Amino acid sequence: MPLAYSLPTDLSPATVVNASSLLRIVALALISGAAIASRLFAVINFESVIHEFDPWFNYRATRVLASEGFYEFWNWFDPTAWYPLGRVVGGTIYPGLMATSGVIYSILHGLNLPVDIRNICVMLAPGFSALTAWSTYMFTKEMKDESAGLLAAAFIGIVPGYISRSVAGSYDNEAIAIFLLMFTFFLWIKALKTGSAFFGTLAALFYFYMVAAWGGYAFITNMIPLHAFTLILMGRFSSRLYVAYSSWYAIGTLASMQVPFVGFQPVRTSEHMAALGVFGLLQIIAFAELVRAHVSSKQFQRLLYASVIGMGILGGLAIVGLTYKGWIAPWTGRFYSLWDTGYAKKYIPIIASVSEHQPTAWPSFFMDLQLLIFVFPAGVILCFRELRDEHVFVIIYAVVASYFAGVMVRLMLTLTPCVCVCAAVAFSSVLDTYINPVEPDAVEEEAETAGDGAVSASSTAVSTSSGSATKKGKKAAPAAQPGPLGGLVSTVSAVVSTKKGEKSRGIFGGDTRLAVLLNALGMLLFFVLHCTYVTSSAYSSPSVVLASTNPDGSQHIIDDFREAYYWLRQNTPETAVVMSWWDYGYQIAGMADRPTLVDNNTWNNTHIATVGKAMSSSEEVAYPILRKHDVDYVLVIFGGLLGYSGDDINKFLWMVRIAQGVWPDEIQEPNYFTAKGEYKVDDGASNTMKNSLMYKMSYYRFAELFGGNQAVDRVRGQQMPKIGPTLDYLDEAFTSENWIVRIYQVKKEDPLGRDLRTANAFEQGKRRKRSKPVARRRAIV
Amino acid sequence: MSTWSVARWLQLIQHWQLRKRCLHSSAMVSPWRFLSFLGFAAAALAKSSTGNSVLVVLDPGSSRDNFSRFFDGLEARGYELTFRTPKDAHPAVIEHDHPEYSHVILFAPESKTYSSDITPQSLVTLLSKNTNLLIAVSPKATPLTSLAAEFSLILPPPGTPLVSHFPERDTPATVIPVDVSPSNPVLSGSLPPVWFSGVPFAFNSNPHIVPILNAPPQSFAADSDADSGADAVVEAADKGGEGLWAGSSLGLVAGFQTLGGGRATWVGGVDLFSDEYAQKPTLDGNKPGNEQFAADVAAWTFQETGVLRVDGSTHHHVNETTPRDRYTINDRVTYTLRVSKYNPTSAEWEPYSGIDGMQLEFTMLDPHIRTALQPTPGVPGEYSLTFRVPDRHGVFKFNVDYKRKGWSYLQSTTVVPVVPPRHDEYPRFLSPAWPYYAGAISTSAAFLAFCALWLAGDSAEPKKSKSTKSD
Amino acid sequence: MAPKTVSSPATTNSFQSLLRSYNETTLPRLKLIDAFLLFLMLSGIIQFVYCVLVTNFPFNAFLAGFGSCVGQFVLTASLRSQVNPANRAEFKEVSPERAFADFALGSIVLHFFVYNFLG
Repeated sequence: MPLAYSLPTDLSPATVVNASSLLRIVALALISGAAIASRLFAVINFESVIHEFDPWFNYRATRVLASEGFYEFWNWFDPTAWYPLGRVVGGTIYPGLMATSGVIYSILHGLNLPVDIRNICVMLAPGFSALTAWSTYMFTKEMKDESAGLLAAAFIGIVPGYISRSVAGSYDNEAIAIFLLMFTFFLWIKALKTGSAFFGTLAALFYFYMVAAWGGYAFITNMIPLHAFTLILMGRFSSRLYVAYSSWYAIGTLASMQVPFVGFQPVRTSEHMAALGVFGLLQIIAFAELVRAHVSSKQFQRLLYASVIGMGILGGLAIVGLTYKGWIAPWTGRFYSLWDTGYAKKYIPIIASVSEHQPTAWPSFFMDLQLLIFVFPAGVILCFRELRDEHVFVIIYAVVASYFAGVMVRLMLTLTPCVCVCAAVAFSSVLDTYINPVEPDAVEEEAETAGDGAVSASSTAVSTSSGSATKKGKKAAPAAQPGPLGGLVSTVSAVVSTKKGEKSRGIFGGDTRLAVLLNALGMLLFFVLHCTYVTSSAYSSPSVVLASTNPDGSQHIIDDFREAYYWLRQNTPETAVVMSWWDYGYQIAGMADRPTLVDNNTWNNTHIATVGKAMSSSEEVAYPILRKHDVDYVLVIFGGLLGYSGDDINKFLWMVRIAQGVWPDEIQEPNYFTAKGEYKVDDGASNTMKNSLMYKMSYYRFAELFGGNQAVDRVRGQQMPKIGPTLDYLDEAFTSENWIVRIYQVKKEDPLGRDLRTANAFEQGKRRKRSKPVARRRAIV
Repeated sequence: MSTWSVARWLQLIQHWQLRKRCLHSSAMVSPWRFLSFLGFAAAALAKSSTGNSVLVVLDPGSSRDNFSRFFDGLEARGYELTFRTPKDAHPAVIEHDHPEYSHVILFAPESKTYSSDITPQSLVTLLSKNTNLLIAVSPKATPLTSLAAEFSLILPPPGTPLVSHFPERDTPATVIPVDVSPSNPVLSGSLPPVWFSGVPFAFNSNPHIVPILNAPPQSFAADSDADSGADAVVEAADKGGEGLWAGSSLGLVAGFQTLGGGRATWVGGVDLFSDEYAQKPTLDGNKPGNEQFAADVAAWTFQETGVLRVDGSTHHHVNETTPRDRYTINDRVTYTLRVSKYNPTSAEWEPYSGIDGMQLEFTMLDPHIRTALQPTPGVPGEYSLTFRVPDRHGVFKFNVDYKRKGWSYLQSTTVVPVVPPRHDEYPRFLSPAWPYYAGAISTSAAFLAFCALWLAGDSAEPKKSKSTKSD
Repeated sequence: MAPKTVSSPATTNSFQSLLRSYNETTLPRLKLIDAFLLFLMLSGIIQFVYCVLVTNFPFNAFLAGFGSCVGQFVLTASLRSQVNPANRAEFKEVSPERAFADFALGSIVLHFFVYNFLG
């Protein structure tokens, strides 16, 4: 490539253009490869398994879709979820994800490629991440140029903030939603730039796809009107804006109402009113513009403006009035919690209890975005410098998304593409400035394109190096730091220096350029290393399977969850209802195939509170609740033996809070603390705590495990009493190898009509020589 | 425990269904036939619905001959009696967690110790495994005394038998003629008074108790060795500290129907069954009711009489005959339950339509519908009901829970999901919406017309379009 | 909404001049579009009034019917602004033929959703 510079006259412009476009394609292909490859850590380190919680439901739903067909899926009523209420699945999900996999599945089978549906589900997210890279490229191309686009594509391909939700096996709505988000934005920008109803329609279609795929579509629903509104306020109303917005809104809204879960919300809820209001405003303005074109009277125009503003205010008031009259639903709790971070904790503990809904910690910005977060503001400022319509969009996007990402961990995801775009714009500006061989006053068309080519070449180098770093990172695990890095830096710098050596002339000294470029490349390299490291260590754990390291450094797989779920599947009748905290509902349904009381689709607060109440009250109180809901087994997660901190005792206070929200007279949070206000599980624990079902199930027979020594809960670091709790209404049915999952069977009513505590006392009162069969228990190692 | 018995119900239902299927395809060899053959073979000998083997545990002091009328009567009805004393280790009542006998008669009220297989706990285990118990107690404190408390029977303090000085007679005050209630569901018709001596018991509130014989109103529990008139009552009250052991609310013989189906009968004194009392003339010189009373009690305890069972239940859409695996809200659904009663004379299960007041509940968390389940006229043993499914989706249960004193309990639960209508089951085109349909269609039509005019306008004169636009 | 804006200025003079100016400067082709727009607007108003005064019971049908009017209206209005020679400068990349193709495509997509939603 350095040759391209030194021989500008030998190459025809066509050759340069062809070469650069070829390089772009190669670069994009490599970026896609890197994006997919870096998401495969999870499959390589563990196995091809569905991750976490929600993906298990998506996977289950997809299996239904693949085996029963679309109409059955559409009408799917799941009687095993939310027992006994059941769940109208077809009407309460965003079917875009399942439909996508279903279509891929049938296409592959149509081609006689009998791929398992599970593999499609596992690989969907990496596949779509490649598409995201491409759409980010397109989007950024609209902002600046192709080279910035390639940089942005490379960034989004490997940035941990996006990888966190799209590793192989993370089969969640976000997997395809980010692609749709970026592509819809790209189409919107395109429609706005060209003023073409075609792109507007396309944007509406992809908006429809997005609505069908993710609840976060409301972000688009509000971003685009906000952009349009800002443009109007800036006095940039144009017919192009009218065409783009009107065609997008009219078709997109009608289309979005086809999704059963969304239904009439676009005309009924406050979240969608901004879009409707801007739509109305645009109509009025457009009409006013039309009239103005035909009339010259100044006074008339003034009146016209007054009436336009008046109507705008009237429309706003009408929306407010309708909200008060109940025609338009006010904002939902989740939405409020975006403005007031304390809101959910006060009023809706169920929302606050979700870890994804917590405010973001500062380190996670660095962890997820690394250097991009520092370059990001520079990119925003560069957008201000040009401030075309699309730059306004990026600026608004950056501001809004930054705020939301700070409020909720989960929304980091929407910020990530914007950060990548801005950082790419900034980076590419730096590289452009310092690679461009043309002296500032000399303007030469051909050298410009050559410069472009050089930039794309450098980003190719980046992406290839990212690919190799990924491979090396895999081999050398987290320990590898300076070895391969040094090598890479030297080779890359060699390339750059040869390039530079010929380029350096004129008032821009070669050494200055070299220093800046080296610095920039070094930063990019560190970014790649960081991404690889974070991805492999933090974001590739399926959380269904845990890994720990043995003293000799080898990996030890802890597979308690699957062990327990398969125990349920093999040893219990198919209709046995399993009660657990809602976190595990989808996994039980997916892996154990048993009915559950509550699951991760937290639509019914009362039902969850019922489970919370059963868990947090004493056995006598809990038993009628369990019987009423036909519960056969109760499953708890206990990490005290292994030190697994995500266990139910640590979540217990949320159960108490949620139950308290519904039964404030029966469950009170302060009762679960010690007199000093500490949350303890040892001897000092309060009586309410010790009598609660959750406590008893967690620590039942725990002390026996230590054979007379002091029992220690390794999560909370507390010493447990020697005599553990007793259970009268439940029987221990199963405890997994590392005690992470414990399953209890709910006893049936006593045949003699006694309460079970009395019956149990009778059973134990006289030592029976012929004892009943005890619950089978594994030998504890 | 009752898990087992539920499984047994399911088995029964399954077998019934198998039999039904076999009627259609006779070539099929069915396990049901084999089982039913066994069942009938057994029934030819014994009249009990659960089996004919009986273990009798007798005190070493008493011999079989004391109760020869009772035991011979049982053998005559086909039971196989095995005798042992409380301290014998063999034959065991329960081995490898499996009951060895269908019924156990515990006529050992004097023994203080039992061999290891007879403990209060193992007796409860037996009962929960559907083995029936006939237990006699005495004024002595034995392990059985503590067991009685588990059945919500409260025995008086040790050494205080039932005493009655009325009516005046030549027998000791502890040997009492007791009038038998004519309307008791366990007993066959009205019986002459029976002779009784032993302890009474008070009842705790427990719905499973079936009182069979109550104490005479003038009787009370007292220390009979030093029977000192009215003081005895007061003393007894002081001694026990548990109130006054007197009056007709005390029970002498009480049955107990467990949830799992097993039956236990507690008798305050073993002499009730003895030959001596069976022959002892009553005050008016007639034969006492003891022999018939004992036979009735044994028949009820060993599940000969008052035994009902659910043969099966089905449900179907009102216009169909086969059950659906789910119903849509507001469907009309017919629920049918078939009930049989055991006939001890023919040793067969016969369809039984005589149940009154059975209720069907259609439950999701709470009963959404609770209504009477009436016998179907013309079809013996069948009870059915047609009703509209509530306008609420979820997992519902058809729930029948029939519990009456003296009868075995009828319980049937069928789970069925109720789903919202499918996407194509909603009414499609509604009359109030015609302006909207018209609007949409006219828009499309106008769009097509507009396109045509537009394309035509490319070549033709634009003036023409003005005139046609009015439609 | 349109009549209100027009009727609010008291000066009938300017209203007349508006009409005159419209009649003089508007191409016949645009007048065809305007006629279509007027029809759509009337249809939409009728449906809306029916919804408010009589019933909105099959709400999806109302939304579909009303949405089809509004959607078609804005698409046609877009077409109008795109083919208007006065806006030539704004739509450099959209020729009138292209505009009509866009319009047709958008309308077909719109009507597809309308009929899907109607019943």
